[in-house]
Amino acid sequence: MERSIMTQHSKIEELLTNMEKVIVGKRDTIELTVVALLAGGHVLLEDVPGVGKTMLVRALAKSLDLNFKRIQFTPDLLPSDVTGASVYNQKEMTFEFLPGPIFGNIVLADEINRTSPKTQSALLESMEERNITVDGQTMALKQPFFVMATQNPIEYEGTYSLPEAQLDRFLIKLRLGYPTEQEEIDMLGRTTSVHPVDQIQAVMTQEEVIELQQQVQQVHVSNSIKEYIVKLVHQTREHPMLELGASPRASIALMRASKSYAFIQGRDYVVPDDVKWLLHDVLSHRLLVSSEARFEGRTVVSILEEITNKTRIPMERG
Amino acid sequence: MRLNGNPTHPWVSILLYIGSMFLLFEWIIPLEIVTDTGYVYVFYLFVAYCYLLTAIAMPAWVRSPLKLLGLLVVMDVLFFDARFLSGAWMQQFLGDLRINFEMLSNRSWMEFTAPFRTFLFLILLWMLSYLLYYWFAIVKRPLSFIVFTFVYLTVLDTFTEYSAVWSIIRTFAIGVGVLGISHLFKLAEAEKLKIQSFRILMKWLTPLLIVIIVGTSIGYAAPKFSPQWPDPVPFLQGTAEQGFSGVGFQNKVQRIGYGENDEQLGGGFIADDTTVFYASAESSQYWKVETKDQYTGKGWKRTVEGEFATGFPGEKLALEAYPTTVTREPGQSSIQLVEPGNLNKLPYRYGTASFRNLQVEYNPVTGEVKSPDDLPAEPYNLHVEQPKFPLKQMQAVSPTMPTVPEPYLQLPETLPDRVYELTEEIIAGKENRYDQVKAVEQYFSRNGYIYETKDVPVPDEDQDFVDQFLFETQRGYCDHYSTSMVAMLRSAGIPARWVKGFTGGEMTQQTDLTNGGDLTTYEVQNNNAHSWVEVFFPDVGWVPFEPTVGFSNQTDFMSEESPEDLEEMNEPTEQEEQELPEPELDEGPEAQQPEEESDAVNVESTSNVSGYTLVKWGIIIALVASLIWLLTRYRLRLMSYWKKNKLQNNYDQKSFTDAYQFLVKLLEKEGYAVESGQTLREFSKKVDRLIGNTDMSELTNYYERAVYREENLESDREEINRLWSQIVRNLLAK
Repeated sequence: MERSIMTQHSKIEELLTNMEKVIVGKRDTIELTVVALLAGGHVLLEDVPGVGKTMLVRALAKSLDLNFKRIQFTPDLLPSDVTGASVYNQKEMTFEFLPGPIFGNIVLADEINRTSPKTQSALLESMEERNITVDGQTMALKQPFFVMATQNPIEYEGTYSLPEAQLDRFLIKLRLGYPTEQEEIDMLGRTTSVHPVDQIQAVMTQEEVIELQQQVQQVHVSNSIKEYIVKLVHQTREHPMLELGASPRASIALMRASKSYAFIQGRDYVVPDDVKWLLHDVLSHRLLVSSEARFEGRTVVSILEEITNKTRIPMERG
Repeated sequence: MRLNGNPTHPWVSILLYIGSMFLLFEWIIPLEIVTDTGYVYVFYLFVAYCYLLTAIAMPAWVRSPLKLLGLLVVMDVLFFDARFLSGAWMQQFLGDLRINFEMLSNRSWMEFTAPFRTFLFLILLWMLSYLLYYWFAIVKRPLSFIVFTFVYLTVLDTFTEYSAVWSIIRTFAIGVGVLGISHLFKLAEAEKLKIQSFRILMKWLTPLLIVIIVGTSIGYAAPKFSPQWPDPVPFLQGTAEQGFSGVGFQNKVQRIGYGENDEQLGGGFIADDTTVFYASAESSQYWKVETKDQYTGKGWKRTVEGEFATGFPGEKLALEAYPTTVTREPGQSSIQLVEPGNLNKLPYRYGTASFRNLQVEYNPVTGEVKSPDDLPAEPYNLHVEQPKFPLKQMQAVSPTMPTVPEPYLQLPETLPDRVYELTEEIIAGKENRYDQVKAVEQYFSRNGYIYETKDVPVPDEDQDFVDQFLFETQRGYCDHYSTSMVAMLRSAGIPARWVKGFTGGEMTQQTDLTNGGDLTTYEVQNNNAHSWVEVFFPDVGWVPFEPTVGFSNQTDFMSEESPEDLEEMNEPTEQEEQELPEPELDEGPEAQQPEEESDAVNVESTSNVSGYTLVKWGIIIALVASLIWLLTRYRLRLMSYWKKNKLQNNYDQKSFTDAYQFLVKLLEKEGYAVESGQTLREFSKKVDRLIGNTDMSELTNYYERAVYREENLESDREEINRLWSQIVRNLLAK
C-alpha cells in the first residue's frame, strides 16, 4: 500500500502541476477541486465572473481525458435540457433518447442560481443519486461523474438562490479569488498566443481516476479522528451564533474530503490537520449565521476558527 | 593573537584567560607558607611566561621549545652554578635527572632531589597553563576550576597555618568576574551577537564590576557567624589516634559523658560513643557511681560527705546495707575500665557485696567506690547479692513517716509553690509511700513529656531548673526527669536522692568478660551516662526508681500477694528499654558558672542556644530546599533517562505515546506549549523553526502513524529512539 500510494501521489502531483499551468497561483483551489473529484463529491464555485471558474473546470477535464459538458443555466432552461429527452425517430418509428449534457464525466453547471428551482433540482438530484429517470427509464450516469456548479454572489436580481437543502449536496464550496498582481501579469503574458488550456495534455485516464477514487475509500480514519470530526460538527449545531448547524451529512462529507485530502498528500491515513484544513471549505455553505451575529460582524470563517481553536485535537490512540 | 581563534568575541577570551592566570596564582601563593618552597616569584614568572606564549599565535613547534627553554632558565636560576647550557651545566642537569629516574624505578618517591621536584612542578605548571587556556579561553567553562580553587583554599585554611582570608576574597572577585564574562559569551552565542569592540564589552563589564565590588565589600563588612561546628582538626586527630593506637586520647575534646560538676544542669549535648567500660552481667544492669543530696535550684551539690571505709578483696562491704527483709539473689559481674582515669570512681551494680580482686575505698553514704591506688587497668570482679525489694513492706509505709535525716528532704527555698501543688495533685488518693512514688515516677510518661537532648535550654538565673522543666519546656533528658522527681518527692515529704551512673550499655562480642560463665558482656559508652532516683523506705533501704521517659526500671520488686498487683506496679517495665544516649553535659554548664555573671551574659548564653538551633534549622531547611530544588531541577533529566530506557528496551505503543507526551511536556517547560486547537503537525513545525532542524516533525510523523494510522512501528523503533533522544538532549542542554 505504501509503495502504491507513493506512485499515486506522484501521478496526482502531475495532475496538479498540469492544472497549475492554466490556473496560475491557485494551488489550494486546484487541490480542493481534486479532493472533491477523488472523494466522489461535487464542487460549488462561488465567485465573480472572469476569475477563471470555467478555465479551472476545463483544465481539469482536459488533464484527465474525460468527457466535459457545460450547461449554461438561464431562466428559461428546462429540466429536459439538462437530462435529455426522448425524441420520436420517424425513420425507425421509435422513441429515441437523446442524452442531455448531464451525461458527461465533468459537468460545468454555470450560474446555477439563474435557472428555476425545477431545473436546479433536476441537476441536484442526479448529483446525489448518480442516475437519472426520464420517461420511466432509469439510466446510470457516467463514471466518474463530477459536477462543478458556479454561482455569482453579486447579482441577486432575477436569480433563484439555492435552498440550504440543495447546498448540502455539494461536498465543497470554493472561491477562486483574484490573482495577485504578479500572477496577473504572468497570466497576460501567457494568454497572448495560444491559451494554455489548449496546450496541456491529459495525464490520467478515466480508469485511473476511478481507481484513485476507490483507493481514497481505503484511506484509514482512526476512531479518534472520527470523534474529532463529530465534535467539530456538533459544535456548529450548538453554537449560539449559528442559526443552522451542519447536518450528519456534513460529518460524512468532512470525513470523505479528509480521506481524499490525506490521499493527495501521499498518506493512507487521516491526520487532524486534514480535517482542520478542510473544515471551512466543507462546512461553510452548510451553515447559516444568525442575523445578530451578522450584525456584530461575525462571519462563518471567524466562527469556525473559534470552534477549531477550542476543540481539543486527539493526540492519543482512540 | 591566537585568542582571536574565536574572532567574534576576542575580548571575552582574553579576559577569561587573564582571569584564569590569576586563579592559578592563588594556587601558588600558599606554597611559600605551607611547604618549604622558596623563590615562589620564579613560578609566577614562569606561569606568566607560559600564558604569554600560549596566547601568541605561533606554530606549536616553536612554542613548545620556547616554553622548555623558559623551564630550563628557571632551573638554572634556582639550582645550577655552571654557565647556562654549557657542557658542565648539561652534565649537572642530566646527572640529576638520571639519579632521579633511578629512584623512580626504585619507587623511592620521597628521595627525589630538589631540582627534580622543581622540574616536575614546572612541568605541572606548564600543563596547567595549557589546560586552563583550554578551559577558559576555548570552551569557556570556568566554573569547575573556580570551585576547585575554593576547595583548595578552604582545605589549606582549615588544616594548615595558611590563612586564606584574602585569598578567598580575591578568588571570589576573580571568580565572579570570570563567570560573568563567560555568561556574556553564552548569551552572545545564543543571540548570535558579535562583541568585537572593547567599548561594547564595557557595557557589560561596568555593572559586573560594580556587582563584584559591592558584593565583595558587603561580604567583607557584614557580620559573620562564628564557626558553627567545632574545629574539625582536633576531632580528626582524635579519631585518627583512636583508630591507630588508642593512646593520647586524653587530649580529645570531651563534649559529654560522666562529669563531676552537676551544679548547673540543662542545655543540649552532642552524642559521644566513646566506650567508658565493658561490663559483664547476667542481664542488663544499671551501673551506679554515686549519689548527691542537695538540690540547689540549678543542680546538685553534696553536703553530707560521709566517710570512706576500706574494703579488702573479697570482704563483704556495707555499701548498701539492705536489711535481711530484702531477699537476695546471687550474681556476679566483671568490669573493665577502658581508659582508667577517665572516670575516677568505680561503677558497680545494685547489690554489690564485695570486690573480689580489688581493694577499694567505699563510702556508704554517697555510694562512691574508689580505688586507693591507680584505677585498675585489669578487669575487677564483683560478687553480687541482687536485692529483690518486698513490695508489700514498701506499700505498708505510710506517707508521712520521715525516718531519714534532713538532707534527703532538703529543698531550696526558691522552689516555686506550683511544684508542691503539682506533687500534691499527683499523689492525691495514694495511700502509701510506694504508690505515691510510683505515681510521680509515671507522671512524666503519662503526660506527654518529651525526651530531648539537643534543643534544651539552661534556666535563667531567677528560674528553677525543675520548675522550668515541669511547667515550661516539658522536655529534657535524664537529669531533668530524675531531678524533678527527687524535688517532687521531697516536696511531699518523701526522702529521696539523686543517683548518677550508667545505663546497661550495648551487648558486645568485642571484649569478652564472661569468664566462661553464662554472662553477657556489655559495652558502656559515654552515651550511657545516666541519672535516676533512689527513694528511702524504712526497713528496706534505698530503692531505685526510673522516671525518665523511654527508660525502664530494672529493679526487681517482689510481691507475695497477687501477681496482678505486681503487674500493675511494674507497668513501666513493659516498655522496651531504649538505648537512648543519656549523658550529662559538662562543658555548657561550667561555662556559665561564674557567680558574677550578669543578666546580660545569661540572656546571651540562652540566646546562643536558640541561635544554634536557628542555624541548625536553617541548615536543615536549606538542605531540604536544595534537595527539592535539585529534584525539580533534574526531574526532567531523570525522567528522560527513564523514558528513554523504556523506549529502548520495552518499545510498544504505550511507551512511545508516553515518551512523546513527555517530550511535549518538556517543550512546554521550554516555553513551546501546544496551543489550543493546534495540531501536532503545526506544533512540531513551530518547534522545528525554533530549534533549527526537522527532528520534531520527523518524530511527529512517526507519532501520527502510531496514533492515527494505528501502526505498531516496531521496525522503526531505532529511528524513533534516535530522534526522540536527540530532541530531548537538545532541549536539556539548553
